[in-house]
This record gives sequence, C-alpha cells and structure tokens, in this order.
Amino acid sequence: MTGVVFEGLWKSFGAVEALRPVDLAIASGEFVSLLGPSGSGKTTLLNLCAGYVEPSGGRILIDGRDITGLPPRRRNMGMVFQSYALFPHMDVAGNVAYGLQVRGLAREEIRRRVAASLAQLQLEGLARRPVRALSGGQQQRVALARALVIEPDILLMDEPLGALDRQLRRDVQLEIRRMHVARPRTTLYVTHDQEEALVMSDRIAVMRAGRVVQIGTAQALYAEPADTFVARFLGESNLLPGRVTAIEAGRAVLAGSAGPIVGRAAPGLAVGAAAAALIRPEHVHERTGGLAARVVERVFLGEITALRLALGDGTTLWSRRLGFVSPRAEEVEISWNDRDVIILPEAI
Amino acid sequence: MRRSLALDAFAGAVAAFLVLPILAIVPVAFSAGSFVRLPPLAWSLRWWAAFRADPAWLHALLTSLEVAALAGLLAVLTGTAAALGLARLPARARLLATGLFVGPLVAPVIVLAVGLYALARSFGLVGSIAGLVLAHAMLAVPYVALTVGVSLAALDPRLALAASGLGAAPWRIFRTITLPLILPGIAGGAVFAAVTSFDEVVLAIFLSGPAVKTLPVLIWEQVRVEFTPLVTVAATVMIVLAILGAVLGRLLGGERAQ
Repeated sequence: MTGVVFEGLWKSFGAVEALRPVDLAIASGEFVSLLGPSGSGKTTLLNLCAGYVEPSGGRILIDGRDITGLPPRRRNMGMVFQSYALFPHMDVAGNVAYGLQVRGLAREEIRRRVAASLAQLQLEGLARRPVRALSGGQQQRVALARALVIEPDILLMDEPLGALDRQLRRDVQLEIRRMHVARPRTTLYVTHDQEEALVMSDRIAVMRAGRVVQIGTAQALYAEPADTFVARFLGESNLLPGRVTAIEAGRAVLAGSAGPIVGRAAPGLAVGAAAAALIRPEHVHERTGGLAARVVERVFLGEITALRLALGDGTTLWSRRLGFVSPRAEEVEISWNDRDVIILPEAI
Repeated sequence: MRRSLALDAFAGAVAAFLVLPILAIVPVAFSAGSFVRLPPLAWSLRWWAAFRADPAWLHALLTSLEVAALAGLLAVLTGTAAALGLARLPARARLLATGLFVGPLVAPVIVLAVGLYALARSFGLVGSIAGLVLAHAMLAVPYVALTVGVSLAALDPRLALAASGLGAAPWRIFRTITLPLILPGIAGGAVFAAVTSFDEVVLAIFLSGPAVKTLPVLIWEQVRVEFTPLVTVAATVMIVLAILGAVLGRLLGGERAQ
C-alpha cells in the first residue's frame, strides 16, 4: 500500500491559475474526496496526480519517491473517468483485460484475474457483451473493474457516478464504500456532490478557486468548518451575516441585523471583520420566551420536516424536526444554544 | 411528412441530370452498329468481343488497376500520417496546414499536370508506373487526410488517456486503440483514393507513355481516332468498377462509423 504526497503542486493554463500551490498528504489506504464546485481545481489536481497534465511547479511523491516527471503509464494508477472512456471496439472482458495485457501477463493469469474482477463487480455473464450494449450502471462498473484489475497503487475517480440516476448512485456509493472498507486502497475521488463525499470518504478536501480550503473528516468539516464556503458546501446551514464586535476566550460576538449572536470563534476571525454566524437547522429549536418568528414555508422531506422561519428583521432561518410535527401556529418563538453556534470568517 | 408532387418531379429531374450521361453510355456498348447512336438500332455483343480481342484494352485496364491500387496504398499511408500529425497541431497551425493539404484539390488539374510533367521529366518518370502512382497519390492524399481527420475528430481523446493510464506506451495505444477506431475512415479514404486514381485522366495523359497507359488515356486516344461503340464498352467497364469501388467505400466507411 502506498500513500501520496503533493508538495507545493500547482498548475496554470496561460493566465488561468487552475490550481494554486497545494500541500496535501494522503495516507496509505485512505479514501480522500476532492469536493468543490466546477472550476475549483479538483479535476486538475486529479489529472496532475494521474500524469495527464504536467504541473507548473511542485512535486508528487509516492512513498517518498518523486514521480512528478513520470508519464502516466509508469505510475500504476487506476483512473475512472466521468465518461468512463471504455474502449468502444472491445467487449467487457477486453476492456478489463487491457491493462493486464499491456503488462505482458500470461493468458491464463489474465483470464483468471478478469473473471475474478468481473465477479467482484457483478458483471459475470457480460464478459462478451460489447460495451455499447451496456446500461450506464454496468458501464460504470466495467470502468471500475478495468481500473482495479491492474492492482493500482492509487485509485483515481473523476465524478464517476455523475451520469447515473439518483437511486443507482446511492447504491454504487455504498458499494464503493464497502469495497474500500473490505480492501482499503489509496483513493482520490473528485466530486461536487457533498452527499457522495460524506458517504464514502475518510477525509474530504474542500476546494474552491484552485485552493484546498479545508481538509478533514466529514464530522470535523461539518462541526468545525473553516469558513462560510465550507459551511455552505457541507450540509444545510443558516448563515447570519454581520460584523465581529468582540472576541474573548474562544468566543465571539457578532452584530447582525437580528441582534447580537454569541458563539465559538473560528480560527482566523478578527474583530471588525465581516463574518457570519453558523447555526445548523437541527439546532434551531422552538422555545417559549425565544425570538419571535413567523413560519413562511413548510417542506416535508420524509423523516424530517423543514421549516423556513422569518425573524422580525426579515432574516430567514431553516429549522428541521423529526417527523411531520409542525407548529400549528404561524407565529412561533425560537432559540438556539450558544455552544451550537460558530462565528465563521466570510470566505474570501 | 407530406410529399408534394412538384418536389418529387424536381428531385427526379435532378437525379436524371446526374445519371443520364452515364446511363446513355451503357446501351451503346451493346449496339450492333458501327456508329454511336442512341438508342442503338440493333443489339449485339460484338464490341465486347472486340474489347476482349485487343490486348491493348486489357493491358490498359490492368495498368489502371495497378496504378489505382498502388496510388491508393501510398495515399493511405501518407494521408493517415498527415491526419495524425494535423490532429496534434495547435488549432491555428492546424487550420493553416490543412489549407496546404487541400491544395491539390483546389489547384486546377491542368496546372498540376504541367508542373508534374516538368518534374517527372527531370526524374525520368514520364511513361512509368512510378510516375503515375506518385501523381495520383498526390491527388488522393487530401481525400484520405480529410476522411481520416473526420474519424480522428470523432475519437474521444480520453480513450488514449485511459490506455496510457493502464500502462500502454504510445505505439501500443496507436495500434490497439486509435487505429481500430479510425479504420473505417482509413478504409473509406483508401477506396476513395483508389477510385480517384482510377478515374483520373488529365495527369495520366501527361505522364503516360507508349508502354504505360491507363484505361481513361486509351479511351481518350481512341475517341480522337474514331468514335466507335468500342469506346463505350471501355467506359462501361470503368463505370461499373468505379461504382463497385464507391459502394465498397461506403460499406467500409459507414458500417462501423455509427
């Protein structure tokens, strides 16, 4: 097993800085998602790792070995493309066998490993099927089989589930997660779907405008986002904007249109700076004696009901509660616990 | 869709305009008389017998086929290599280079003929198979470069990336991924190149010699001496072979392209 380290890796295309210098260490057997909107540099980072794109600077190390200058074919990485990029003139077995044939393995060995790989991904019986005759989900599994069968040091995936419908996507997410847990393999997974990242990753690197904004476990990112961008990108969030008026002993006071809000101060917060109070919807409770609010929207989401509440100054907040218990009245009183509030710097 | 009678009639007229000159030749080849007239007064195979009896015709036909095959082969090798090279150029350079490549298509053939004649003379290639093959290959290379270029443009560049990620070196990627996928374009271009050579007469007139003469050149010479139905037999042979070639090209090029 092998880990990978990016040292000051960056890339610009002409005047466009696709990726600003990134320092990132991925442990052996770790599943890391690169999560961000389009244009955040996540695919560039993946392509740099695969060797499809040459970096403008920095190094890529595998087990301390510098592979920055190696062509893709000498990197032993398995890549799953968003479009799958299956070889259309070959059947399923031909696609999966390709990397093994290139490695000059014996015929019998190739047959054995292809069969095992097809079985693992529930593709038995499709070996002789032309790839064009497969459904999207099957094509996706063939792409995964083709990448895994070569026993890559690092598995790279570029939004591999983007083309699948929602239900199938969930199944495949869990399937990939189970495979990873059963046999951990260093994996870099590019996605713009927070749910996907949450389901599968050991750690998530949130990217924006060519930088890694924050990296950590899903729980850490959810509980302690670095700034408003991360807070918005992971999970549902209420962000009440304002200015920091005081910071003391790890707590900050934010002056906003709804009045002062007290909460934990996130690192990098400065008095006078633009900031926002993050209050997750599950932390907004109904409580007599709290702030007066009006229910402006009720959304039934199955196991929970989401309520949009408007405060006196027009600020709106989402609240969610289990079941479809929803207040009968249009006017409610709400509050939250100060320890559930974080004051975050505004994303630059 | 609603079809109108006027549109059908117009389409029919256009079709007739396109094929009538060709169709007019064929009946004359089966004429019993000694003059070219339509429709023939009586039918016979005497001109076909005459065609077979004169070794010059068969010789010219074989020369034509040989030149077409060799020119087609040369054009395919050169044109495919050119298309692969063009595809790697940056956009603006590619536009410019493509313009140069279609030069032989837009330059007047007679101008090319005069230039080639002068060149061929200085290399002693007038009246040789080699001279004809080179000249026809030059005419046909743009067709191959264009058809192969279309196939290459339709090729997903990620396939080559995927193959290289799986460990394949560039030559192997070409052999196992690129080549099989652009083969329809190559095959189509090959047939087109061969047909171009088979039909070509202007360059051939300049570059033919007493011993090396293609079928169109012989037809041309015969027409100038006497216009008998024998010439239309040769023309019919050419038409049939050219149509066969075109159909073959479509089958090869069209089938896997979808």
